[in-house]
Parts: sequence; C-alpha cells; structure tokens
Amino acid sequence: MGAQSTGTATEPRPPSASTPPTPPPPAGRKRSAGGLAARGAPYLLILPALVATAALLAYPLLRNLVISFQNLNAFQLIQHTTEWTGFGNYTDQLTSSVFWHTTFRSVLFTAANVALIMATGTLVGLLLNRLGKRMRLFLSLALILAWAMPMVAGTTVYQWLFDSQYGVVNWGLAKLGWHSMAGFNWFGGQFSTFSVITLMIVWQSVPFVALNLYAGLTTIAAELFEAARMDGATAWRTFRSVTFPILKPFFLSTAFLEIIWVFKAFTQVYALNAGGPAGTTQTLPVYAFVEGVGNQHYGVGAAISTLTILILLALMSYYFRIILKQEDDL
Amino acid sequence: MRRSLLGRFWPNAVAVLLFVFFVFPVYWMATTAFKPDIDIISKTPDFIPFHGTFAHFDKAVHAAGFWELVRNSFTVALGAVLLSLAIALLASFALARMRFRGRKAFVLVVMVAQMAPWEVMTISVYMIVRDQDQLNSLIPLTLFYMMMVLPFTIWTLRGFIAAVPKELEESALVDGCTRTQAFIRVVFPLLAPGLMATSLFGFITAWNEFPLVLILNKQSGQTLPLWLTQFQTNFGDDWGATMAASTLFTIPVVIVFLILQRKAVGGLTAGAVKG
Amino acid sequence: MRKRRAAIAVLGATAMAVSVAACGSSGSKSDKASGPGDFKGKTLTVWVMSGSNPPGWTKDITAAFEKKYPGAKLSVQVQQWGGIQQKLTTALSENNPPDVVEVGNTQTPYYAATGGLMDLTGDKADLGGKDWSPALNASAVYQGKQFAAPWYFSNRVVVYNKKIWADAGIKDTPKTQDEFFKDLDTIKAKGTQDALYAPGQDWYSFDGFLLDAGADLVKKNGDNYVSNLDSPQAAEAINLYKKLNSYGTAPKDKDEATPQQSDVFAKGDVGAFIGFGWEAAGAIAKNPQLKDQIGYFPIPGKPVGKPAKVFLGGSNLAIAQAGKNPELAKDFLKLALSDQFEGALAKEGGVIPNKTSLNSNLTGNPFATAASAAAVGGGTTPLIPAWGNVENKPNPISTIFMTGVLQGQDPSAAAKQADAEIDKRLSQKQ
Repeated sequence: MGAQSTGTATEPRPPSASTPPTPPPPAGRKRSAGGLAARGAPYLLILPALVATAALLAYPLLRNLVISFQNLNAFQLIQHTTEWTGFGNYTDQLTSSVFWHTTFRSVLFTAANVALIMATGTLVGLLLNRLGKRMRLFLSLALILAWAMPMVAGTTVYQWLFDSQYGVVNWGLAKLGWHSMAGFNWFGGQFSTFSVITLMIVWQSVPFVALNLYAGLTTIAAELFEAARMDGATAWRTFRSVTFPILKPFFLSTAFLEIIWVFKAFTQVYALNAGGPAGTTQTLPVYAFVEGVGNQHYGVGAAISTLTILILLALMSYYFRIILKQEDDL
Repeated sequence: MRRSLLGRFWPNAVAVLLFVFFVFPVYWMATTAFKPDIDIISKTPDFIPFHGTFAHFDKAVHAAGFWELVRNSFTVALGAVLLSLAIALLASFALARMRFRGRKAFVLVVMVAQMAPWEVMTISVYMIVRDQDQLNSLIPLTLFYMMMVLPFTIWTLRGFIAAVPKELEESALVDGCTRTQAFIRVVFPLLAPGLMATSLFGFITAWNEFPLVLILNKQSGQTLPLWLTQFQTNFGDDWGATMAASTLFTIPVVIVFLILQRKAVGGLTAGAVKG
Repeated sequence: MRKRRAAIAVLGATAMAVSVAACGSSGSKSDKASGPGDFKGKTLTVWVMSGSNPPGWTKDITAAFEKKYPGAKLSVQVQQWGGIQQKLTTALSENNPPDVVEVGNTQTPYYAATGGLMDLTGDKADLGGKDWSPALNASAVYQGKQFAAPWYFSNRVVVYNKKIWADAGIKDTPKTQDEFFKDLDTIKAKGTQDALYAPGQDWYSFDGFLLDAGADLVKKNGDNYVSNLDSPQAAEAINLYKKLNSYGTAPKDKDEATPQQSDVFAKGDVGAFIGFGWEAAGAIAKNPQLKDQIGYFPIPGKPVGKPAKVFLGGSNLAIAQAGKNPELAKDFLKLALSDQFEGALAKEGGVIPNKTSLNSNLTGNPFATAASAAAVGGGTTPLIPAWGNVENKPNPISTIFMTGVLQGQDPSAAAKQADAEIDKRLSQKQ
C-alpha cells in the first residue's frame, strides 16, 4: 500500500460522558436514548476518512515537512543519503525578495481572479435562470465543454489563440480595425501575460460557479421573486434581498473553493508562459515547482510548499471562522 | 408587461456571445484535430476545416499501448471515485446528521485537506511509494487520487445529505426501520443526484492527473495524460495529433456529464444551500 | 518538466584530453563466457529518447542482441521529453532502474556527478573508445572518468528553399557571413517577407554564434564558474542574432518549436531557417512540393570557406549504477556502439556517428554532409554538473537575455539581468 498510518494526531477523541448527544434546538429529534453504540457511531463513520487522510495526506505532508529541513537534490535522492540543513531552506526563502514578491503577486492574482470568477459566474448563473429552456441547454452545453476540456489541451489552445503571428485573437482585433494589435505579443509583458492567464482561468472556472448557482436558484421558490417584483424591486435589489441571503452558504463555500483552486493553480500559469517574462508572472506554486522539481532542489521546493500552505491557512483563517460558525448553527 | 421584446432579446443575445466565448477554444481544439498539418498554422485562420483528415486521430489511437492506457485510466479514475464516495458517504452522514465531540475539528481537517498542494508534494509521495516497493502499480495511484478528491466529496455529499428532509428518515424510523435501513431505503435513493455530481468532479480530477503518474509509473501502469503529451517531442511537436488526442480525451468526460447532466447540475448547490 | 532539446548536447571544442586511454581488460566479465543458460529470463531495459531510435535500427539490434545472447530479451522503451529529468532522476534512485539510459550530452556531467551512472573507464577500450572523436567524447567524461559512451550527434545548418533563392537570382550558396547577409538582403528586396526565419529564443543557435565569437557561456572565476553573457563576445553574438532575426517575421520571444519552424517553412514562402535535417523532413511531409526544393549549407563563418562554429548536440549511452544486469548492459553497449550498428544509426537517422571513420555512412544525405562539415569545429554548453540548472525552464539565456536584447534592451543591461539569475543557478548546492 502506498503508505502507512503515522500519527494519531487527527484521531478522534473518545466520546466523553460529559457530552451527551444533545439534540439540536429544533426539537423533535427522536434519537433512541444514546447507548454506547450510538455514541460511538459517528466516530466509526468518520474513521475510514480519518485513516485515509492520515495515511495518504498527513503522512506525505509530514514527509514533505521533513524534507524541507534537508538538502535534498538529485545526488542525495539517487544516493539515498540524508543531509540536514536545519532551517536553512526557510531562512533562504524568508530573506529572499523573490519569495516575498511572489507571495504578494500570488495574493493579488488570487483576489483578482476569484472576484472575476464569482462576479461572472453569478451573472451567467442568473442569466441561465432567465433564459428559455432551449437556450439554457445550449449555453449549459458550452459551459460543460469548457469545464471538461483537459488542461493540457486548454493551455495549448490558449497559446495559439494569443500567438502573436498566427493567433486568431490578433487576427480578429486587426480585422475589427485595431490594426496595431496585429502581431501584438501577449506574452511579452507581465500585465498582458496575466490577462491571458486570467481569461483562461475565468473561462475554466465560471462554468462551475454558474451551473451550480443556477441549480441553487431553481431551489428558491418562485413566489419569492414574484413578491419582490410586485414590490417593484429592481433586479439588483431582488438579488440583494432575496437571492443572496438565501444562497449565502453557496456563495461562501464556492468562494472558499475558488480561492483555494486559484491560489493553487499551477498548470495554467506554468504551461502558458512558465512564469515569464523573466519570472514576473510566477505565483507561489509555480515558484515552488521551478525551484523544487524543475531545478531538482527538493528540499527548497518542500520549504516553499510548506510556506505556501501556511500563507494559505493564514489567508483562509477568516473563512474558517465563518464556516465553523455555520457549523454551530446546524 | 415588463418583459418587452427587448427584454427578451438581450438575455438571448448575451447567451449567444457567452456561448461563443466558452465554446470557441473547444471548437478550435476539435477542428485543429481535423486539419491537415499545413493548415494548422495559418496567418488567416481556417475556421471550418473543409479539407478534413482523420490522420491525426489515426495516429493518436495507434500510439503504442493506447488501449492499455485507456484501461488504466478508467480503472484508476473509477476506482478513485468509487472509493472516495464510499468513504465520504459514511463521513458526511456523520457530519450532516450527528452531533459529536470533535465534529468541528473534523470539519477543519476536511477544509485543510482541500488545500493540499499536490503538485509540489509529488516527491514525498514518490519516496513513500518507492520505499514501499509499490512503483509501477495502479494501487497507490488509485489511493492517492482518491485522497485528492476525498475532501471535496465529503464536503459536497454532506450538503446533499443535509438537504434530505430529516422527517423522511424519521418516519422510516417510526415505521420500525433501523437507522441503517432508514438510510439505505430513504436517504440513499434521494442522494443519487448528489453522488453523481460529486463523482463527476472526482472523475475529472483523477482523469487529468499528470505530475504524480509521471514519476510513479515509469515502466508500467501509465495513464492517458502521459499519452497526451507524447506528441510533443524533441523532433517537433505534432499539434494535430495532440489536439486529436485531447479531443478523444475530452469525450468520455463530456459523455459522463451529458448522462448525469440533468441530475448532476443541481446537486452541488442543493448541498451548499442547505449547508 | 519539459527540457526541449536539452538532449542535444555537446562536445567540448576544448579537447579535454581523455587520459584513460585503455586500461581495458578488467577481467570483470566473467559471467559472459559461461554459456547461454545465464541469459534465460533476463530482460535488458533500454531507455531511449523519443526520436532517437529509427525503426530499422531498433528491429535489427533487438534481433542481433537476442540472437547473440540467447534467452535474453531486449526491451527498448521510448521515453517522452516531457518531465524526462524527473523521470531519470527518480529512476536512477530505484532498486530496479532501466539498465541502459540515453542521456543528453549537456546533461551527462550532471548525472555523472550524482553517482547514478556506472563508471565505464575500464570498459572504454572494449567499447571501441580509442577511435571516438575526442570532441564528441568530452561530455561523457567527468573528473577523468568515463561515465557514458558517446552515441550520436548533430548540429544545425542553414536549410534553404532553393526556388526562392534562385528566383532572387542567387546562384551559389554563401561562403562567408557577409555573403550570407547580402543574399538575405537580395531575397528580402525581391519581396520575400521571411528571407530567414530565426525565432528569438533559439538559444542553441545563439550558443553557436557565441562560440564562434570566441567565448563560452561561462567563465572561471576563482574556483567557480560564472555567467559570461556580459562580455563583448556575447554582445557581438547577440547583435548578429538580432540581425538574423530581423530578416523575417519570426517572434522575438518564442523558440523554434512554438510554432514549429519547419511548419512555417513548409508553407513555401520562407527563404531559409537554421535547423536540422529532421525539420526539413517534417516540412516535406507537410508540403510534398518542397521535396526537391530544399538545400543545406553550413552556417557561414567570417573567413572564406570556414563554417561558423556551432552548438553540437547529441546523446550518450550510460549504464545505471543500480542496474541488475551490468554485464549484459555492457554487452548491449558494445553491440550498439559497434561499427555495424553505430554506422546503421548514422545512415538511417542521418546523425553524426561517434567515429569519423564511420562518416562514410552519411554519403547521399545532403543535410548530414553539410552538418558534418561544421561539426569539426563544434562546441558545447559548459561541461559542468551545475549547467543543467541553467537550462531549466524558464531558461534565463533565452527568456531574459535574448528576448531582452531583441526587444530593444541594451546587451549589457540584459546580460547583467540574465547573469544574476544564471550565477544563482550555477552556485546552487548539488
């Protein structure tokens, strides 16, 4: 098997007598008086997930952490030797301006992309709800195709579309009368490269948001919208006072996933321009990959990835709090 | 009436524009696959391949070991999805329906697990698998792919289960079912859309995975993403064949989606809404 | 990660004298004589890079090997370029690695330094080492020891469209750099938009011009190597390259594979490009009309009749240190490097063989003939283990220096920027 279980870090605490299975406020839950079996049930149910997470995720993460304190390159990997460097890999990164620039860039990049994805996704979702049946199927199909297209193919096609000589985009812009765009080099500058990457990520991510939002909208009773319209509410008002509050959990968890996905986005950024020109579009995952896997300095890569996780955790702490608070309301 | 002709016109017009925006790259991939090499790079784009050819598809399908890779890909992706569904179903039931100590901690574990940076963890995963002497096997691959999709699966399934009205389950209990029976007879059937929606996501993830299989299975047990890149070689990138391969690679996902479509789209949110 | 063309590596023009002439018979090959039974059930795994092994050669050598060592099986596994470095590094760390691996010549010192390759010093004579061209063997030697055997080589020439050149009234191929430029001017004046297609990030071509200007990509600074782009020679080479790039519409920020320059050439309206025979073959496959229109000549140098120095790419064959069949692996190497199969590879693949005595196999192959004329003066990237780091994507030579200058930056300013990154990579711990 791939791995063995290491720790008990995530092992559930045994149910203690002091916490009887208190039924939640909306009463009427008829649970048979909690025997030991009933109290043990939830732990039995989450046990497989915990074991899998411990063995297949926590353990590799721990190994990764261990590696981050080593000088591990091709030589050490092939010779099976271990060279400890203490916090060397970390201090190198934390004192490097490249690392901090990359971090800052990653955060901005994630913020801009997630904002665009959520806004566009929401608008497309609302549009889907408004369209006739046939048109809706038509647009859904396009969304599904964009979502299903493999990333390898997606990045290649985007490279072509934006190719300076043979790209359809430049050709189209020139045809539309914007002649200075013929031969424009999209991958020559930081901003234009980021624009293409963003366009591609939005293109790939909007279907997920839009389709799910649409599905969510169908669960809202039509009377609510009807009532809002009777009151003469504008579309924006209806959204603010009807749709958004009802679907708030959806927006929260979707934004949560999108932040993680965009922050971790690797293939799109790397495949389009390898973080170029001159590293100005490198994000943290790309940086970790180039330093660790590409240059075969696995210890350095592991240290960067550990820092990446910490940064992501810090960024998400606000979110964790909101979501955990929701748990209380359950 | 507020819905004037204009009011009906603009959503449709926007929909058409959006359709073009989303479909065009896919269309470009598919048509490129049919274009003869000489037309692939062209200063005036060739929007419809009048002189279509199947040569690229032919080449892609006749690559060495193609059918074995297809088999491996399906085995690994389906295996990962089914395993994660099974594990997640249990865990998400506990999350959605039970209160227990450590529940919040478990929710936190699931959320953090969702953040795992798999691309840069490949070397530690590799060293673990190598030291266990499990290279070139489909088993570790399936297990790790399962783990990649497990947090998302738990997260969404939990929502679906929460969305099934408790009263249904309770009335089954009143009718003398055990909790397990109530789950199997009442909740499970209602979960079908949720299961499908989640499995589709898992399938896409496992189907596309590249960095791990690249170094774990160098001699055997390879999957289709490796095949996708083999037409880009040191001696010239065969874009036609790459696009033909990508097109073929996309088809199973689209088919799965179209089959599940009606039930699937719905689900993810149904969960989140009641989350 | 994709290391395009990394494989095509190099040979030190600086003929590093290979000290170990022939300490041949180390008596280590005892298991061979004891009869065919020994090979039963043994499978020898050989990794070759995609495009290295022509089909006829593969078929013949498999048959010959399995006949010579009855019971043994030869499994030639073609490796894709994507992620080859990670694959090779991890494979060499395993208990059961491939027995024989093809390693690009620029990558060989790196892998020799990791200890993953077997020391073949004692087997050099058996492998025919005394006849190897010293320049071709340079990359296979690390710290005086033979860690691989030179396998095949190739270098770039000018591939031109005879029709376009004839239409411009040019009768003869240029013999000097000045003549070359004059011809390109003439073609351009005739209305050919792409007299020459030279994409801005074809850094192996640039390396050739740098070698021709008399400098290397690195220089020694005390005990360390540092980047040498901020030098008059590099400025001369990049200005020359900039001029070549200006003879057409080739992008300044792409390499020769995006788009494939042979695909561009295949359209029939490009005067020439700097490239390989297989690229020309690719163009013909896409546009059969070009079949009789393609000619080749070595990149002209400054003095009359002396081709410019070029970057000489190629591959070595090495044996994995941890391999389970070391003797059989050596037997395979012996067979592959024999005059019969080395010659067959040169003939079928149109590549330059490791011994000049086998060059007769190139007769009738116009590309290889033009290439071998320039190969004599070929050079390579620096043969130091840390060099592999520099070539890692994004390669600072092409992305920072070349594109920078071609887009108008001052050579020295761009060089300083690139040098900083290169020095960082050269000084990384191994």
